[in-house]
Amino acid sequence: MTLLDPTRSVTRHVGARQERLEDRPFLVGDGRYCDDIDLPGLLHAAIIRSTSPHGIVRAVDVSDLTVPVDLVLGPDEIAAASDPCPIHWILPEQWQTERPLFDGRVRFVGDPIGVVVAADRYLAEDALDEIFVDIEELPAVVGIEAALADTTLLYPDRHTNVMARWTAGDDDEHTDAVFAAADETLTIALRIGRVAGVPMETRAIVVDPGRPGRDGRPEKLTIWTSTQAPHAVRDAVADVCRLPQHRIRVIGPDVGGGFGVKDHAYEDELMVVLAALRLGRPIKWIEDRWESLTTTTQARDERYTVDIAYDRDGTLRGIRVDAVRDSGAYFSIFGAGPLFAMTGTLGGPYRWDAVNSHARAVASTTCPNHSYRGFGQTQATFIRELAVDAVAAELGVDPVELRIQNCITPDEQPYQLRTGPMKYDGGDYPTSLRMAQELTAAWPAPPDDGRRWGVATSIYVQQAGVGPSQGNPHVGLQIGSWESTTLRMERDGTVRAYVGVSSHGQGHATTFAQLIADRLGCEPEQVEIIHSDTDVTPYSAYGTAASRSIAVGGGSAILAAEQLATRLCAIAAELLEAATDDIVLGSGAASVRGTPARSIDIADVANRAWQGWALPAGYDAGLVEHAVYEPPEFTWSYATHTCRVAVDPETGLVEIDRYAVVMDCGTVVNPTIVEGQIHGGVAQGLGPALCEEVVVDETGQPRTTTLLDYLVPTSSLMPDIEIAFQVTPSPHTPGGMKGMGEGGTNGGFSCVVNAVRAALPEVADRLTQTPLTPARVWRALHPDQENP
Amino acid sequence: MSAVTPATDVRVTTFVLNGSETTVTVRPRTLLSDALRHDAGVHGTHVGCEQGACGACTVIVDDVARRSCLTLTPQVDGRIVETIESVAGPDGLDPIQQAIHDTHGMQCGFCTPGIVMSLVAARRAGVGQVTAIDEVLDGHLCRCTGYINLRAAIEVAWSGLEVSA
Repeated sequence: MTLLDPTRSVTRHVGARQERLEDRPFLVGDGRYCDDIDLPGLLHAAIIRSTSPHGIVRAVDVSDLTVPVDLVLGPDEIAAASDPCPIHWILPEQWQTERPLFDGRVRFVGDPIGVVVAADRYLAEDALDEIFVDIEELPAVVGIEAALADTTLLYPDRHTNVMARWTAGDDDEHTDAVFAAADETLTIALRIGRVAGVPMETRAIVVDPGRPGRDGRPEKLTIWTSTQAPHAVRDAVADVCRLPQHRIRVIGPDVGGGFGVKDHAYEDELMVVLAALRLGRPIKWIEDRWESLTTTTQARDERYTVDIAYDRDGTLRGIRVDAVRDSGAYFSIFGAGPLFAMTGTLGGPYRWDAVNSHARAVASTTCPNHSYRGFGQTQATFIRELAVDAVAAELGVDPVELRIQNCITPDEQPYQLRTGPMKYDGGDYPTSLRMAQELTAAWPAPPDDGRRWGVATSIYVQQAGVGPSQGNPHVGLQIGSWESTTLRMERDGTVRAYVGVSSHGQGHATTFAQLIADRLGCEPEQVEIIHSDTDVTPYSAYGTAASRSIAVGGGSAILAAEQLATRLCAIAAELLEAATDDIVLGSGAASVRGTPARSIDIADVANRAWQGWALPAGYDAGLVEHAVYEPPEFTWSYATHTCRVAVDPETGLVEIDRYAVVMDCGTVVNPTIVEGQIHGGVAQGLGPALCEEVVVDETGQPRTTTLLDYLVPTSSLMPDIEIAFQVTPSPHTPGGMKGMGEGGTNGGFSCVVNAVRAALPEVADRLTQTPLTPARVWRALHPDQENP
Repeated sequence: MSAVTPATDVRVTTFVLNGSETTVTVRPRTLLSDALRHDAGVHGTHVGCEQGACGACTVIVDDVARRSCLTLTPQVDGRIVETIESVAGPDGLDPIQQAIHDTHGMQCGFCTPGIVMSLVAARRAGVGQVTAIDEVLDGHLCRCTGYINLRAAIEVAWSGLEVSA
């Protein structure tokens, strides 16, 4: 694909720090989130959940119920009224390819069993206290080791708790040969803790069955839900609740953050849909924070044995990982996809002779483990960069110089990965590291305050944008990854863009408007971005996820705008008696290049198009264009993160003192918004590095059920961040954008962990489990002492 | 927990909401956050945790910032309550709101109203910039911004204010 340039337009909004166009309602309290939706006759739901980590549901007893309720929808009715929910990522040896809403068992504390519906939420929760669920308890299976022991099976008709198993990259024979030929090898055992996504708005759904159609079922079922992917919800409702897709309308209103955990329809949400269908009345369900921290899908929780082979001159030879992921009670929509992404991106920016992974996903009686910002690439970066730092320590060399020595150079691009039919799409990784060196060189020396100081640098190459749809089935992914945009210019020259990707904080109303305005010669304020309504907006299997909105969705917006610009220029050329190629758009007019006096208002052009007057041969009336962008290849953004930390040896407390990022995400549409994504991404990197951890005790009970136990970073933990850009436009995407939303998390997590290890080199081999809480750091420093 | 009888167990609570006398008739256990959102008709106050941890629900009661999710509705009887809807004036945004916009201090916007209310209360109390950043902002959770631009917003909003550090 050739890189399109907005040559038909004289405006240049891409690259500008355009102020966000969507802010005002949120600033004055006029956001319209799910819980702000009210409907006549609205009822409220609460979810009946398992209090046991594992068991067989014998009965749901409502005989003690005194609270007035409108409906108790129990598991048997749910099972009878629903079909299984498909899983969209099928990996080798994976037997679970769909999941019923209820199969007679519960497998984690919080597992949904049914729905109670009442006049308000308080009453619905009162009713929960009076509903007795008789569960025949089975042993809990907590932790990877317990799962692998297969003493208790979550799915008794299977002989193992292993849910999927695969190898990736070079084969074992080749890898063994590379390791045998290398001067040195090194082995590290690592554990990465379980985390929760914690969007500030919890999950939420409002279901309105509307009026019955001629078959008695809803003519149009309308659902408002806090989602990243309205079409994925629509598809799931159709599959599970047995409704045709055209009779389901899913709307994403304002959404208070997603971070991966809102990329699919959940079992409890589908149960609420079934309840609304049963009652024929609208129902609202708002997840509370306890539910959010125990039933919204979690992430990571993996253990690794990492082998790295290298030569004494610093040449990295091979990396080999044996990885096990605790997938929790069952596979959610993308199954063990995050671990697959880890194995596919393990190599990062370095030349290797061998990259090899053995991966397993196991089931345990804990909350399902699924998508979260980084989607396995955070783990790949963590494993690789920690191992490279360990090699530098062994060799006694500067870890940044070791990285530069082994980095793929620009003249080796496009570089063929060892882990799949993918090529990096350009960039200068060594310069990224050099730029980071320059930033850190300017840092003042740390104070001599008794704390231990450490600096670390991490570099990652992130698969963003997601590649061609037709490639997805080859890796087990059952959905396409193209995007489209429909553009309509109104009679007055203003523009509406209907896009498939959703916005829930990413600023699409601004950045997509910048992309489109540049092609049409208008101002971003004249472009409205419309998203998240399956009756109106284009199909998107993914929605907003995987750092792909601006690269893929934005690519389709550019293509549609180019088509619309061509149409406008052709009409204007007819009116101005000039050649189409000589028309330029800008300042609300179409004019002849070099002869600005020969000009016509865009509104005049648009009006003629809508009236069908004076159109060139071959052009129909109207000003609507639709464009599909199918990414021909993956895009790969990359960044170097470097930070300095101070560790208090008395308390184990880590402070992040300095932080710098050198980012290359291709064309930067809006630097302010990209910087904001880096800030938020880094916060979600350093949280799991230092304080965020989902804890489930050995009996299977969750212990981190409030935001006073599950510690999300506050401002005092977050350093300021220096940011520098490289700009290497992707050759594959219209506009050259690469996508970067998850990058801050990828770089931040490993960078902070490695800086703590660098601060305490004598105990680094005990700092191998995240998060590095004060207690863990203190215990590493004082292995022989009781707790302080 | 025993069930309540909804028809009889209600209480009238009257308070000044954003300058207007307001009466809600709700069960005494109704959280102020719920009464504001669902009975008093102001939905800009957001509920993020009902655990007092995130700060999204912060409102001002008698000039003091409070978690409305930890406040029972009858507790504000006879008191003055301010929510995010009261902050912008007829001439436009309050300087705190404007600064959050200008510095890109919000992304999804869910936590923003609570942060604005805490900062409005702090400014009114003469809290200085350092304390506003180190203590007031630290009482809020934001998952999108990483707080950096919110700190910048406070610096902008506090510049020119005559307050102590």
